[in-house]
Amino acid sequence: MTHHRHSQQSAPLIEMRDVHKSFGANAVLNGVSLSVRDGGVVCIIGPSGSGKSTILRCINGLMSIDRGTIRVGSFAVETLKSDKALVPLRHQVAMVFQQYNLFPHRTVLQNLTMAPVQVLGEKPAAVRERALALLAKVRLTGKQDAYPGELSGGQQQRVAIARALAMQPNVILFDEVTAALDPEMVSEVLNVIRDLAREGMTCVLVTHEMRFAQEVADEVFFTDRGVIVEHGPPGTLFQNPTDPRLKAFLEKVL
Amino acid sequence: MTLDFSWLLDPLYQTWLLRGIGTTILLSLLGMVLMFVIGIVGAALLHLKVRFLQSPVTIFVELFRNTPPLVQLFFLYFMLSEIGLTLTDPVTGGRIPLFTGFTCVVLSLGLYNGAIAVEIIRSGLLAVPAQTVEGARSLGYSRLQTFRHVELPIGLRMSIPPMTSNIVSLIKTSSQAVLVAVADIMYGATQIMLETFRNLEVMLLIWVIYLAIASLAVLVVRRIAAAFRIPGYGS
Repeated sequence: MTHHRHSQQSAPLIEMRDVHKSFGANAVLNGVSLSVRDGGVVCIIGPSGSGKSTILRCINGLMSIDRGTIRVGSFAVETLKSDKALVPLRHQVAMVFQQYNLFPHRTVLQNLTMAPVQVLGEKPAAVRERALALLAKVRLTGKQDAYPGELSGGQQQRVAIARALAMQPNVILFDEVTAALDPEMVSEVLNVIRDLAREGMTCVLVTHEMRFAQEVADEVFFTDRGVIVEHGPPGTLFQNPTDPRLKAFLEKVL
Repeated sequence: MTLDFSWLLDPLYQTWLLRGIGTTILLSLLGMVLMFVIGIVGAALLHLKVRFLQSPVTIFVELFRNTPPLVQLFFLYFMLSEIGLTLTDPVTGGRIPLFTGFTCVVLSLGLYNGAIAVEIIRSGLLAVPAQTVEGARSLGYSRLQTFRHVELPIGLRMSIPPMTSNIVSLIKTSSQAVLVAVADIMYGATQIMLETFRNLEVMLLIWVIYLAIASLAVLVVRRIAAAFRIPGYGS
């Protein structure tokens, strides 16, 4: 796999500027700015409650923001208010969750085909073919007629990744996707993400897998108390952290 | 004390009983259809927090859930006959009342058990995990699409156990049809008792018949529940 990554000079695919978000009196994001280039692989690390998952949910409009701007491709996310206006954005930005968030009442194959058919209005036959190819890609051929509840956590998470891919997105947001998995299942999920990153899929990962972040990310962002404290290429960030909060965090997790 | 069931051999009584069973089942089935429509629509309006309609639905639910179904039936029967809406019979050209006793019983069953169904389905919807809903939202499903394709199918399955007792309650409540002169099974029984004075025997039989109808309903619901069971989900 020697896919070309887009040049560093091109305009970023995702750009957040000075984003603020509070839940009541609880300020979660206090001016977050970050950018991700097309084809980039970015990891967001930081202590729990530092706003990592909230950043992801703001990027695909699952949460509205109080202040600042978020641009994804040609979309100004903070201006999209109605469900209908959000459909093109969610077509472009898919998300994979810690708890998989699959549809338990539908088979694996239906989990992949539902949204492209029901939301994007694509032809069922074409979607079905694409879905079967995606199941092969995440090494779940033969499981298409199983229900999510019949699969292991690692298998369910791979279904969730395939479901995200079935939307043919430009970006996938990964929200601590291995945090709920038994240790022996972590690698099967990380392998799939690694393949995607190598193929040039733009990925934003919130993760506690520091070694994986070091391996796949072009850039790592460290968040604490709702701001980006430090960011840079993984080599620099992990080997020569400057901020004392990052140093303290890395001492604990590495 | 000796039990005498010889009246059962009388073809006239047999006809009354069989017609009565048929009427009871028809009342119950139509009542159930109305119950489900009211339950799903009411629960949807509450769950989707539809403006201006939430309060009326809540008032409706409280009103019909917390008053005796017999009071509701009499109220409907006398109020609707007071309004006096009539239909023209296409065959005879005569005027027939739109709200017959039969219609009133179906309406009353649908309203009373429908009000309870609203709450049952609503709690089923609340039991759908927030993560599942978030998954749908992240794929571009609108609030309404999420409801239709994700929350309702899962929520209805979750509401099957409490809904089963609501259905049995509806079948039992249908016996008040006799009080507005609808010829259900209770009506037939009352007629037979008046003619034979075998009150104990007739009531024993009616008891068994209701038990059989309710058990059959539970059996059918169980089959439906099994057919829609989500493999590997829940208990």
